[in-house]
Amino acid sequence: MEAASDAGGRLRGAGIDRLLACYRGRPGAYDEMLDAQGGIRPHWRALIQGLAALGDQAPARFAAADRYLRDSGVFYRAYDGPGPGERPWPLAHVPIVISAEDWAAIRAGALQRAQLLEAVLADAYGPGRLTERGLLPAAVIAGSPEFLRPLAGSMPPGGRHLGFYAIDLARAPDGRWWVVADRTQAPSGAGYALENRGALARALSDLHPALGIRRLGRFFDRFRDWLDAARADDDAGPCLLTPGGLNETYFEHAWLARQLGLRLVEGQDLTVRDHRLYLRTIAGLKPVGALWRRVDADFCDPLELNRNSRLGVPGLVQAVRHGQVVVANALGSGLAETPALPAFLPALAEAVTGQALLLPNVATWWCGQDDAMRFVLGEIDGPGNDKLSVAPAFGRRGDGPLAHGPVRLAKLDAAARTALRDAIAARGMDFIGQEMVTPATTPVWVDGRLEPRPFLLRVFVAATAGGWSVMPGGFALVGTGAGDQGDARAISIQRGARSADVWVLGDGHAESGLEPAAVPTVRTVAIRRTDGALPSRAADNLFWLARYLARAEATLRVVRALALRLTERQSGDAGLAAMLAAWGAAPPHLAPSAAAAQALFAIGQGTVPDLVQAARAAASVVRDRLPDDALSALDALDACLRPPAAMTIPAVTDGVVLDVAGRALRLIAAVNGFQVEIMNRRAGWHFLQLGHQIERAIAICRFVRQFGGKMGQDAAAPEPADPRQADPEALEVLLELAESWETYRSRYVPGPVRLPVLDLVLMDETNPRALAYAVSRIVGYAASLPAPGPEPGSSPVLAAAHRLADEARAIDPATVGADRLVGIENRLMQLSNAVSHSYFTLREPAAGNAAP
Amino acid sequence: MIYRIRQDTTYRYAASVPFARHLLRLTPGSDDGQTVLSSVVTVTPAPYETGETVDFFGNRVIHVGIETPHLTMSVASTAEVRVESGTGCGRPPPEPDSTPAWEAVRDAALRAGPAPRSPVHQLFASRLVAPDPAIGAYAAASFPPGRPVLAGGMDLTARIHRDFAYDPAATDVTTPPAEAFALRRGVCQDFAHVMIAGLRALALPAAYVSGYLRTRPAPGHRRLEGADATHAWVALWCGPEAGWQGLDPTNAMRAGGEHIPLAFGRDYADAAPVDGVIVAAGGHFLSVQVDVACLDEASGSAGAAMPVGAPVEKA
Repeated sequence: MEAASDAGGRLRGAGIDRLLACYRGRPGAYDEMLDAQGGIRPHWRALIQGLAALGDQAPARFAAADRYLRDSGVFYRAYDGPGPGERPWPLAHVPIVISAEDWAAIRAGALQRAQLLEAVLADAYGPGRLTERGLLPAAVIAGSPEFLRPLAGSMPPGGRHLGFYAIDLARAPDGRWWVVADRTQAPSGAGYALENRGALARALSDLHPALGIRRLGRFFDRFRDWLDAARADDDAGPCLLTPGGLNETYFEHAWLARQLGLRLVEGQDLTVRDHRLYLRTIAGLKPVGALWRRVDADFCDPLELNRNSRLGVPGLVQAVRHGQVVVANALGSGLAETPALPAFLPALAEAVTGQALLLPNVATWWCGQDDAMRFVLGEIDGPGNDKLSVAPAFGRRGDGPLAHGPVRLAKLDAAARTALRDAIAARGMDFIGQEMVTPATTPVWVDGRLEPRPFLLRVFVAATAGGWSVMPGGFALVGTGAGDQGDARAISIQRGARSADVWVLGDGHAESGLEPAAVPTVRTVAIRRTDGALPSRAADNLFWLARYLARAEATLRVVRALALRLTERQSGDAGLAAMLAAWGAAPPHLAPSAAAAQALFAIGQGTVPDLVQAARAAASVVRDRLPDDALSALDALDACLRPPAAMTIPAVTDGVVLDVAGRALRLIAAVNGFQVEIMNRRAGWHFLQLGHQIERAIAICRFVRQFGGKMGQDAAAPEPADPRQADPEALEVLLELAESWETYRSRYVPGPVRLPVLDLVLMDETNPRALAYAVSRIVGYAASLPAPGPEPGSSPVLAAAHRLADEARAIDPATVGADRLVGIENRLMQLSNAVSHSYFTLREPAAGNAAP
Repeated sequence: MIYRIRQDTTYRYAASVPFARHLLRLTPGSDDGQTVLSSVVTVTPAPYETGETVDFFGNRVIHVGIETPHLTMSVASTAEVRVESGTGCGRPPPEPDSTPAWEAVRDAALRAGPAPRSPVHQLFASRLVAPDPAIGAYAAASFPPGRPVLAGGMDLTARIHRDFAYDPAATDVTTPPAEAFALRRGVCQDFAHVMIAGLRALALPAAYVSGYLRTRPAPGHRRLEGADATHAWVALWCGPEAGWQGLDPTNAMRAGGEHIPLAFGRDYADAAPVDGVIVAAGGHFLSVQVDVACLDEASGSAGAAMPVGAPVEKA
């Protein structure tokens, strides 16, 4: 390593000089890496030397980190731009290094603040002594939309309002950390912090051991233990309640659920009976003792809270009031995020903890108090304070002067000042004045050099059996430097910020130290070979994922067979275009080429892209249960169903169709293959396979009806169809669609003859594409599903499977008619309905409101 | 004065409802000016789960869960209630001019304590009613500097009655106050919401009260609007002495012996008589019948109406 220190502790070396060539701290802001004299702070030196030593390798290393994130399915959802979309997680490649001493101060402050806010919440929902003592006006509680009155007067089960809490910190120019925001509702970022750590380990693994970075895993273990304490004997285990796949941080929810071994659930998976919370599973209702919610509290119960919510569980508030379920964070904990509250925290800290705040708030004035209102009005009329902003006291923007969020006084014109002054004079209680913090800067990597950018540090605190624990590390948001350098609150992912790993250096104590910290191993668990009960909704989505995918595959086979005839064989379309129209994959009466292109590329019901979208939607709900590789293949499948660049669908050639259909079929095979290779053979697998085989069996029946030669209209009719009337070309199509050409050729030398063809695709149990094979698998999977109700032995699904098998066995290929095949298709539909009714049906609402 | 109240509420659904949960705020509470002598609520089909709680504001709430598939749900509630004259411990209703200046009430409300019926809970935006500057400007005309708060409140009550048309076709249960204000039309719920939005814009604490009116007018009195269904009006906090005073903008009168409160809250969402979550494939049709009979008409003048201004004929 070409680096040396000069007398002043300043690092030197060509690599380092190049790295820092453009790095200048911003005037008036603290810099994490450089001290006031421009020297590299001691705790940054190893990292900077390491980065310098990477030299030209750095871009490849960082690309590996990004690839890791992409392959792990780490995305966030952006709400701006054209339509909501998944964006790659923006990792800043240079971590932020925090010294052991700095961290000790942050940790102590975070613990104090957790204790303080817990006490404030317990008092606001309880005896109200802090209000009585004049430390906190009742109006500050009453004004908050997060003061959930149905929870007032009840202690949260488990004894804590805060199970998982986060603090956003900014380092002020004097080097002190200031609290910019408290996150007590449902803080996000902890899962991304773990992912950032994992990703950076790929890029900078050689630096980890040398630095002695503190590990994150134990923190999650302890929190998980705390959740587990609420577990009853027959408990389904702690669940993580997510708003669902459209939420901006859904990927984090799925990831955390998988890492911590929690069940990922949505409101409709849960139900409340007799004041207890239950998970709906394919084996009936299982009690839930602990819920980690990532749904805002107001949306958690449409019965007693927001009646318009479709994300919650009707009756959850009752279950909580009856002490039957630990919710983290407790319903109502969002109260502690009230923007007006920090105005009172300095005095509350003295009263509750006996100490001044260890981490100061940004200075806050609540205009519901005369002195504070006079001060803020004075500043509005004053010469222009460029450090003061005015914000809604309770988060509601309203349609007045704060309709677009907080305003900086320095930026207001005279008319805006007047409007703000009048609004504050009329209802000062709705406003706060707040000082802005100029955030410190930290280096980011830009084209081989480091540049300073403003950042926010998010620190996580979790409940443990004995108290609280602070995650030794965290999650930082690094701003763009455009528009957010003067105001820490302006830094956000949605505004282009990147997220950075935070390396806390060990202080030599146990648990902190010298373990080679790379990817955290989140948990060591006792060996279990069961997964507990599968939630009904997960089973439902696995089943439909398989059905949509198998239907897409069948449609693709028709498209490919058609394109093959149009290109290589020039042999007419053999009725394939009509079949696409009959399936709804293409409009009727189109020319064969156009029908194939429509079915393959058009957005519309029944087309291949539509079926793949439906499969992806189902997969996104059960993300936590599918192999990552299968999900990636599914994404690739979706991506390949687009016409080549600058080509409209009508302009697509048959050759392109043939090519894309072939590629899509290979990707579907990959998705299926990953499932076969990786998924364990539990209930979820059975639902997946059941859906797959049902759809396949339906497709075979339809293929045979269309291409299996002339069919009698009634199987019982005295005159069976003449087997010799089968058209060899149609039989060829049938063998192709049923993927049975190879087998057929190996057994029968001459061209296709009806009876052996039908025997092969309908009756041959050794042919994995035959109806008989699908039916025998269906019976097997149906038999291995759990009994759906309390009564043993009476499975409508198994009964339906047996009826299906009886009818399928009774087929005589020589006389089989369309009616018999339609009868089998109907049996398959009945079986599918039986599966739905027995295992998926929601007997209770997630939605629908009886507004009187 | 003793009233016998009967309410029949029937929901007819387009498709069978396999499961439902409801909250019923159909049980009057005993209060300063009101004593509940008896009260029965019957739900059909029979619930598998029922319970009664008292909510934050002190309202009695019945929880029911129904898992019998049904096309119709009906709730029959009956109660006998003794209503004292006016409000508050048998004291006569306060003279409007004896109440404090509205500015003093405004300042006192913001500093009040956290008790459930404290005015602090009625000062801020609630789920359905936010302080609305436009409605506030309209309301401000009733509150010149120094005017006693109840006098101002009664003036606003009379103005809303004068300026707004009673029109059930103009709004529905979800109409926001700003829209009803712009239309100058609506029903009791809209008038109450509009008035609350205006009072809160002036930082005056205003609550929503649901309840009943006597359906058969006393001899010599007009039949009141809203008597055939559950009614709604406004409670204005008039300082620590006078407390909450009922004002009915639908009928331009103070709430007195002819108003029987069922529930008190920040807006309709807190006080809706029936609230629920059902599994439903289609819409529903609601019918409500209310009968409020006076059992001791002869017992005195307690039920005399207290108009807040000269009755005005409406177009």
